[in-house]
Amino acid sequence: MNIDNTASQMRKGVLEFCILSIIKMGEAYPSDIIDKMKAANLNILEGTLYPLLTRLKNADFLTYRWVESNSGPPRKYFSLTEKGAAFYSELEATWQQLANAVEEITGKKN
Amino acid sequence: MKKVININFQGMVVPIEESSYELLKEYIESLRQYFSKEEGRNEIINDIESRIGELFQERLKKGATCITDDDVNAIIKNIGRPQDFDNEEGTAAEAPGAGTTAEGAQTGYKPNWEFRSRRLYRDENNKILGGVCSGIASYFNIDPVIVRILFIVSGIGLFMYVLLWIFVPGSNALVNGVRRRLYRNPDGKFLGGVCSGIGSYFDINPWLIRFLFLIPFITFIFRWGHVGPLTFPHFISFTFSPGTFLIYIILWLVIPEATTTSEKLEMKGEKVDINSIKNSVVAEMKGVKERVGKMGIEAGNYAKEKGTQIGQEMRYAARSSGSAFGNVIVTIFKIFAYFILGSVALALIVALFSLAVVSIGLFPLKEFILTNGWQSAYAWGTLIFFIGVPVVGVITFIIRRLARIKSTNRTMRYSFIGLWVLGIICFIALLASLANDFRRTSSLDEQKLALTNAQVPFLNVSSIDNNRYHHYNNWLRFEPFAYFDDDTVYIGNVHIRIEKSPSDSFEVGIVKMSNGSDRRDADTLASQINFRSYQTDSTLFIDRAIAININDKFRNQYVELTLYVPVNHRIRVDRNMLYNPIRFNGPWWDDNDRDWYRDNDYNFDFKYGETYLMQQDGLYTLDGIPSGKEDDYRHNWDEEYNDNDIQSSPGTYRYGKPDKIDSLTEAKRRQMQKLQLTLDSLHEEQQKADQRLKDSLSRVKDSLEQKIQKIDQKDHTPTQAYNQAEDRGVGFVMHI
Repeated sequence: MNIDNTASQMRKGVLEFCILSIIKMGEAYPSDIIDKMKAANLNILEGTLYPLLTRLKNADFLTYRWVESNSGPPRKYFSLTEKGAAFYSELEATWQQLANAVEEITGKKN
Repeated sequence: MKKVININFQGMVVPIEESSYELLKEYIESLRQYFSKEEGRNEIINDIESRIGELFQERLKKGATCITDDDVNAIIKNIGRPQDFDNEEGTAAEAPGAGTTAEGAQTGYKPNWEFRSRRLYRDENNKILGGVCSGIASYFNIDPVIVRILFIVSGIGLFMYVLLWIFVPGSNALVNGVRRRLYRNPDGKFLGGVCSGIGSYFDINPWLIRFLFLIPFITFIFRWGHVGPLTFPHFISFTFSPGTFLIYIILWLVIPEATTTSEKLEMKGEKVDINSIKNSVVAEMKGVKERVGKMGIEAGNYAKEKGTQIGQEMRYAARSSGSAFGNVIVTIFKIFAYFILGSVALALIVALFSLAVVSIGLFPLKEFILTNGWQSAYAWGTLIFFIGVPVVGVITFIIRRLARIKSTNRTMRYSFIGLWVLGIICFIALLASLANDFRRTSSLDEQKLALTNAQVPFLNVSSIDNNRYHHYNNWLRFEPFAYFDDDTVYIGNVHIRIEKSPSDSFEVGIVKMSNGSDRRDADTLASQINFRSYQTDSTLFIDRAIAININDKFRNQYVELTLYVPVNHRIRVDRNMLYNPIRFNGPWWDDNDRDWYRDNDYNFDFKYGETYLMQQDGLYTLDGIPSGKEDDYRHNWDEEYNDNDIQSSPGTYRYGKPDKIDSLTEAKRRQMQKLQLTLDSLHEEQQKADQRLKDSLSRVKDSLEQKIQKIDQKDHTPTQAYNQAEDRGVGFVMHI
C-alpha cells in the first residue's frame, strides 16, 4: 500500500459526484468543468473526464447539445437528464451520510 | 530546421511540424488502444480530438505560425497519457483489462500497471483469417507475422489452425503489447537494410545476419569447379546462393522501411513513451510475486467463475440455439471455402515453382537448342520475367498479406505486371523463333550401312562404348539427354526397326532426319549427323545416341535404323539400345514426310534383349511366340498355372508349339507331385509327433496316479492302527 494509491482511490469515489453537481448548476462544457474543479483544487485530466462523461451519457444520466464555437470545432454542452437528477440526489444522500460518518469517526465534528 | 505539413484535423487545417505530427499520431493511437475496450471509444477519441483541435486553434490565433513539439507536449500533458488515467479515476482503469473487475474488486486495490490473467483469445480486430495467429501473438507479446509464418511453414499448421479457430473464443479487445516490429533499417544499411533490420529485431549484430546470407555464396564459389551444368545439389535447402539472394530480394520487398522516427523507435523496440516499458517491466516483476500469492485464491475463483460462465453460456445457447446453429454452419462453410481456396492457391504456387525449377534445370541445355543472339535473349527474358517475376510476386504477395502491409505504392504492382508482360512477349517470341527453326523436315532417303559379314546366321546389335552414356548425376535427371559434357550432348534418338530381308543376307538401312528452318537447312543438319557402326563377328556395334554439339544445335535430329533380317536367321537387339527419344513436336510438324514409315506393315515389334527368329510368315521368339505377343503368351501361362489344370487348354495357344508346351506342363506336373509328396511326409511326421506326445503324457499321468494311490494308502494306515487299538482297548476294558 502506498499513500498515492490510497489517496487516488479516495478521490475516484467522488469524481462522478462532483462532475454531476457541476453540470447540475447549469449546462457545462468539459473544459469549464475542468476549470471549476481546478478552482476547487481538485485536479483532473481531460483524458479522464471525457470517458467519464461519455459513460454517464451512455447511461442516460447526461445529455448534450452541439454549440458552434468561434475558436475551433463545435462544442458539446452537457446537461442533466431527469434520470441523472435522480441519480445525483441519491449520490448526494450517500455522500452526506458518508461525510457525517467520517467526520464523526475522525472526531472532527466537534 | 523543421518541415511543416498541413493536416486536416477535425475539419480544420492545421500547420504542424512533421515531428509534432508524429507525436500527435502516436498519442492518439495510444489513446485508441487504451480505450479499445470502451463501448463509446470512437466518441471519446473524437471528443478528445476536437478538444485538441480547439487548443490548436487557440495557439494559432495567438500568432503561432505552426504547431510545434512543445505545443503538442503541453496539450498531451494537459489531457494526460493513458498511464496517467489509471491513477486518476476508478472506472476507467477497468478499460484495458475488462474481465478483471472481479480481481480488482477483490483486492480493493488496483495497481497502476496492467496485470491481467492471461487467456488465449482470437484477435478479431487484427485478423486475416480467423485471428488465431494474432491472438497467439498477443498472448506471447510477439509480432503476429512471426506466428503466421510459423503456421504456414509447419506442416500441421492448417489443421491446428482450424481446431484453434473452432475452440478458441474470439475477442475484439486484444491489445498486442508488442513493442518491436520488423523494419528495414535505412540507417545501417549495406544494400537494402534487411540484415540490419533483422539484426535490430533480434538484438544481434547485423554482420552476423549478413554472414548467414553470405555463407552460401562463399561455399558456392568454392564448389564452382565441381558443379556440373545440371547438378543443383542443395537448391531446396537454400545453400544454393540464388536461393538466399531470392530470399533477400523478397524480404526487401516485404519488410517496410523504417522511415519515420516512431517507426525507427519501434524497430529498436522502444515504444515512444519510455514509461510504458518501465511500467511493463515493473509489472512483470511484481506480477511474478503477485501471481504466486494469488494462485490459490485465483484457482478457487476461476473454478467458480467457470461454473457460472458455463451455466450462462448454456442458458444463452438454449435461448438462441437457432442463431447459434446458423453461426456454426456459416463458420463451417467459411472454413471450407478458405480451405478450397487455399488448396487451389497452393497448387498454383507449387506448379509455378516446379516450372521454375525445371526451367532453371533445363537452362544449361539452352546452348544446344538456341542459336545465339535473339533466341538466347528471349530465353533469358522468359526465365527471368515470365517465370521468375510471378514466383517473386506470389511470395511477396503472400508475405505482405501475412504481415498486413498495405501496399501504398502502386509502382510495385505495376512494375510486376509490366515485367511479366515483357516475359510473356519474350516467351512468345522464343516459341515463334523456335517454331520457325523446326518448321521443315529433311528429305528422306535411305542409305545402306556396309556390313563386313552379311552372311552370319545370327546378328546381335549392340551399342558402342556403352558406358559413355551413363547418367552420372542423380539429382536432376533429364532422361532423353543421355549424357552431355561441355560442348556435346547425346540424345537417344536412334530408333531401330526390324523387317524381313528381301535377299538371303542381312542388310541395314539408315535414314538420317532433322528439322530446320527450310529444307536445305534440315538436309545439311541431317547429313551432319555422325553415326558410327562396325561389325565384329556376329555383333554389329552402333551408336545408341546422336551427338549434338553447340554449333549444330538440336533440331530433332533423328536416326532410323532398319534391320533387314533374312528368313531362318536370328536377330537380337541388346538392352543397351533402349529407345529413348526426344523430339519437339508442334504445329510446325509437317507429317506428310513421315507417314511412309509410320504405317509400314512390314516392320515387327520386338523386345530389347530377346533373340528372334525370322520365319517365312513373320518374326518369332525361339519359343515360337510371335514378336509383339510375348506378353499375351506369358499372361496366359500365368492363368494356366493358377488353374492347375494342365490338360484343358493346350488348344488355346494359337501360335504355340505343342511339344514344347507339353514338356513344360509335364515338368510342372512333376514338380507338383514332388510338392505333394513332401506335404504328405510332413503330415505323417506331424501325426507321429502328436502320438509321441500323447504317449509320454499318458505315461506321466499313470505315474502320477500311482503316486496319489500310495499317498492315500499312507493316510489310511494310522487311522487303521488307531481303530485297531481302540478295538483292542475296548476289548481290554471289557476284560476288566
